[in-house]
This record gives sequence, C-alpha cells and structure tokens, in this order.
Amino acid sequence: MTFDWSVVSRNAGVLLEGVELTVLLAITTMAISIPGGIALALMRLSNVRALSAASAAFVELFRNLPLILVVYTAYYVMPVATGLNLSPLTTGIVALSLNVSAYNGETFRAGIASIRKGQSEAAYALGMGRWQTMKEIVLPQAVRRVLPVLASTWVSLFKDTSLVSVISVGELAYTSMRIRAQTFRVLEMLTAMAAIYWLLGYPQAKLVDWINRRYGVTE
Amino acid sequence: MSAVAQAPRQASRGRAGDSVPVLAYRNVVKRFSGGPVVLNGISMEVRRNEVVCLIGPSGSGKSTLLRCTNGLELIDVGEVVFDGKALPRDWNGMRRMRRRMGMVFQNFELFPHKTALGNIAIGPMAVLGTSRETAEAQAQALLAKVGLADKAASYPFQLSGGQQQRVAIARALAMEPEVMLFDEPTSALDPETIGEVLNVMKQLAEEGMTMVVVTHEMTFAQRVADWVVVMDRGAIIEQGPPQQIFQAPTVERTRSFLSHLGWSG
Amino acid sequence: MDLDFTPVLESGWFLLGGLGLTLALSVLTVACSLVLGGALGLARCYGPDWLRWPIVFYIDSMRAVPVLVVLVWTYFALPIVTGAVLPPFWAALVALTAHISAYVAEIVRAGVTSIRAGQTRAAFALGMSRWRTIRSIVLPQAIVRMLPAFGSILSITIKDTAIAAVIAVPEYMNRSQTVAGQSFHPIEVFAVAMAVYFVILFPVTRVVDMVYVRLAHLGRS
Repeated sequence: MTFDWSVVSRNAGVLLEGVELTVLLAITTMAISIPGGIALALMRLSNVRALSAASAAFVELFRNLPLILVVYTAYYVMPVATGLNLSPLTTGIVALSLNVSAYNGETFRAGIASIRKGQSEAAYALGMGRWQTMKEIVLPQAVRRVLPVLASTWVSLFKDTSLVSVISVGELAYTSMRIRAQTFRVLEMLTAMAAIYWLLGYPQAKLVDWINRRYGVTE
Repeated sequence: MSAVAQAPRQASRGRAGDSVPVLAYRNVVKRFSGGPVVLNGISMEVRRNEVVCLIGPSGSGKSTLLRCTNGLELIDVGEVVFDGKALPRDWNGMRRMRRRMGMVFQNFELFPHKTALGNIAIGPMAVLGTSRETAEAQAQALLAKVGLADKAASYPFQLSGGQQQRVAIARALAMEPEVMLFDEPTSALDPETIGEVLNVMKQLAEEGMTMVVVTHEMTFAQRVADWVVVMDRGAIIEQGPPQQIFQAPTVERTRSFLSHLGWSG
Repeated sequence: MDLDFTPVLESGWFLLGGLGLTLALSVLTVACSLVLGGALGLARCYGPDWLRWPIVFYIDSMRAVPVLVVLVWTYFALPIVTGAVLPPFWAALVALTAHISAYVAEIVRAGVTSIRAGQTRAAFALGMSRWRTIRSIVLPQAIVRMLPAFGSILSITIKDTAIAAVIAVPEYMNRSQTVAGQSFHPIEVFAVAMAVYFVILFPVTRVVDMVYVRLAHLGRS
C-alpha cells in the first residue's frame, strides 16, 4: 500500500480555510454564550419564579442532550419553526450557542453564589441597590473567579465545532473529510485532520492547565 | 464635613436630659425562621453625638440588633425609629435610609477588585452620583484622616487587617452618615493592629459622631462610651453609663459576664 | 405546524433496538475506561518516572482532539495501518474508551492527590507498605471523592455514543436519522430523540449526587 502525503500539502490552502472557520465558529459562539450564560445565571438568581424556573429548565435541558442531536434538530426544526432559511453555518452557531450558554449559565451561577454574602451586604450598607451591587461588586468578582472554568469550556467548544460538520458546515473536519472523499487518500487525510486538531488543541489544553494553576480558587 | 462633627463631645459621660434620640428601638422582637427568638423585646435609645457600646456574651443578639438597624435583617415585632421616623419594612425604602447610616463589618468586607481609593469612592459615585474627581478627592482626604494617605493605590490584599478596617471606616464615612454602626470591628484583627483601629474610632467619637459599637473591647467601652448596653440571650439585662456598668453593675449576670472576661474594673 | 408521531411509533422497535445499543456501548465504554483510565491514573501517580511522560502525553492528546476525529480515524484509518477491519460497534468502543479513559485518568489523579499527605504518613508510621497504604487508606477515600466526577463520565459517555452514529454504529442517534430520512417527519423523530436522551441523562447525575451525599462522610479526612 502506498501513501501519498503530498495530498496534505497540495490542499493546505483549503485546510487552512477550514481552520479559519473552526476558529470563527468558536469565537462567535463564545461571544454569544458568555453574555448568554450571565443572563441565564441572573435569571436563575432572580426573585421572579417564572424567570428562575425557565433558566433552570433551559440549563438542565441542554446539559442533558448530546450536542450532535441538538445540531441535527436545529437543522430540521429551525426552518420550520422560524420560517427562515438559515445557512448551515448560522444553524451550527445557534446549536453551539444554545449548548455552551447552558454550561456557562451554570458556571456563572456557581461563580456568583461563591461570592461571600458579606460583599453584597457591605454594598447595601452604603446604600447601593440590588442591580448596582450585582453590576459593580458581585459580577466583576464572579467573572474573575470563573475564568479557569471558562477556559476549559473554550477548549471543549473548540473541539465541539467538529460536530457541525454533519450539517455540511465547512470547518476543519468537514473540509478534511471532503478532501478524503475526493482523493481517496483515507489514512493521509484523516491523520492530517487529527494532527491539525492536535497542533491547535494541545497548546490550548496546556494553557488551560496553566490558568488553573495560576488563578485557581483559593478562598 | 457634616453637621454632626461640629458639636464637640462633652468631657463627662452619661446622658444629658435634653439630647435628641437619633435611634430608638421600641420593643423589637426578631425570630429566625422557624426557630429561636433572637431579639426578645429590645427597647433603648441612641442620642445624637453619643457613643453607645453593646456588650454581652456571644449569641446575645448584639450583632443582629445592629443589622436590624440598617435593614440587613428585618424585625418581626416593634419598631426601629430613625430620626423620628419608623424604618420602612420594604427593601427599597430601607435603601434610602441606609445612605444615612454607615456600617463597619467584622470582616472588613472591602471590595477586593478595587483599590483603597476605589473602595472609598464607589459609595458616593454609585449612590450619590458624585463625579469621579470629587469622589476621589474626598476619598484621598478620608484616607489621610485615617492615617493611610500613601495607600491609595493599594489593593486590599496588600494591606494588613488593621489597615483594611481603617479603609472600611473611611468607606463608610464617605457617605457622610448621621450614625456609624460598628459590628465587632476589632474581633478579626491581630492584637498589634487593634490599637490603630480603636484610635480612629476614638477620634471619630471626639469629633462628635453618633456611634453604636458592638464590641468585646471593654477598655475601649469604658473610656469612650457614653452609654453601655449589656445584652444576654436576646434581652437587655442592664444599661447605663460606663462607670455603672464597669465599676458597679447592678445586675448579677453583668458581673459574672465581666468577670469571665477577666475584667477587674 | 401539525405533527404526526405515527412514523415514530411504527418504527418503535427499531428505535428501541438502537437505544439498547446506545446503552450497551455506553456501559461497556465506561467499564473499559474505568479499568484503563484507573490504571493510567495510578501509574502516573505511583509509577516510575519514565512512565509518567508518555502517560501525560497521551492524556493531553486526548484532551486536544475531538471525539469525532478519534472515532473516524479508528474506523477508517486504523484498519489501513493494522490490516484488521473493526466492525463499527467495536471501532466505536475502542475509540470512545481511548478518549474517555484520559478523563478517568485525570479524575483518578485528582482524587488520589487530594488525600492529605498526613494520611499516608500516618499509615507508614503504623508500618504499612506502600501498596497496602494505597489500597486500604488512599483509594477508599479517594474513590468516594471521585464519585460525582464518575457520574459525569457516564453522562459524557452516553452523549458521545451519539457521535458514533457518524461511523454507522446503529445506535439510537443513527437509527433516528434513518427513520427521519425515510418518514420525512424529522421534527417528530428528533423531538422524541431529545426526550429519550433527556430522560436517560437527567437521572444519571442526580442518582450519583444522591449516592455521593450518602457516602461523602467516608471520604472526608
């Protein structure tokens, strides 16, 4: 059996585009899911029963579903539910954002709850209101505290972008497998795909370890 | 500074018959949900320019009474009257009242993500709408007042306990309160730093600030207080000028409490 | 939007068979991962130095690469390298075990290192050997502490089996796709799929949490 590894270098440009889309997916999803997670956490902590219950239900739902199922469901349900014809890319971002927002919702809820009650009391004692206290005192501390967890979530998200390949979004996994189908170079392309993910993912994982060492919660 | 500072304290202790109550507690009762009665009918007064010390064994309800004063806890029966008006029972109404009272916590509770200057300035900026320049200038002056002028850019983790507590006092003063509430301000401090905080409190007292202090520092209470209230198990067992409480208590439990602390008068 | 669930019901047994495979694959994966991951984790903590680096490299590599990639490579590329073809189910088992045992190894490491050194010192002072100490003192406490994390491993595994649909393993996700494609009622099919997965996954973490609360005192020191 002969191997032709030049298929990788010949398609380097296309693969690079795949990588770009992977990165774009991850960044866009995180950009939506951090405010999304904070919103869910605040809803969960609110005194309005309906908001709190809705947030809890949302978080529980998406943390207990396989992401690939959410991707497929979004692909089939969204056109019918919204009447819009969304591109696979948008659908993929929606599915990823629903999923990651749910995880972030729990992350931020735990982070906010970990801030000592005395901090809010000191703010109230000065005459600050509930929202003011949350905005100025509690949230800034909570965000710093959950940074290591957000870093881990980012690494998971980066890997999970591969799942939107099943609805033909042209990120790295889809691109690699398409080249494989076109060139029949199975081992070379799949190994290249794994290697590229490894090259991108390994430093990220080590960075997360470093962040956890440096900024892990001590209090 | 505010009007209260202009009335210098009397050299003699005790209550003048004509001074005005800033705070009055009328038969205050508080229960913790489904449980013990924490405050069992407290009635007392705090007069303008007075320093009132609350002393007593742990669990006597002293801190709870203080926290009921600025609405961090709500009472079940009775009323707390501030400047002639009963305290509102809702959270938002209490918010306006809280601006006029300053509180200092046992654990300092400085905001760790802000500098000393930032901690002091945030009250006026967020609550009173003061501009940043004015708030920071006032904060710098207050830092100087508590002896920490050079620590403006320091973060709480860079300060000792005594320094943090002094910043906390300055933070409360920045709102120009009419009364300062101290909840065991020195209980979490190393012995070496207790003195610097008590000195700041003594200075405040001399400037005429109305203060309610929950404390275990009996020497401070004896020297600085105008009125001492002894609490035990949710009730006031004795109150009077320091000479009475510390030298000639009329209630046996007061005597035994003080002797347990090693207090020999 | 009118929904018609009859295609789902008509394919009920077909889908149920897929569900059985999902559960079988999950349980087997978790069992194998506990063994392999446990061994890797303990070897990392207590084994010789030269073993440490390859193990860490393996664990970090599995953290870096998506499950989909491992699955696809194991099913399509591994046979080219080894000459032996693995049926989809077994390829998925190999791939998922390889991936999940990395997480198990990390959990084991975290659990073991969380036991205070004073505990092992006390055991040595009593004259216990190294291995005896690990077996009787460290591991029992560590395992209790690791329980919540193991619960999440089970949950993650079940979710990852759905990705095996991509390499033609006829588990629930895969069969749902088949039914969806044939019946032209994808919304109903996937709605049921979501309900099924939720009903399985939701209790898993809850039960583990409950068990943990009962046993937690055994792990405290």
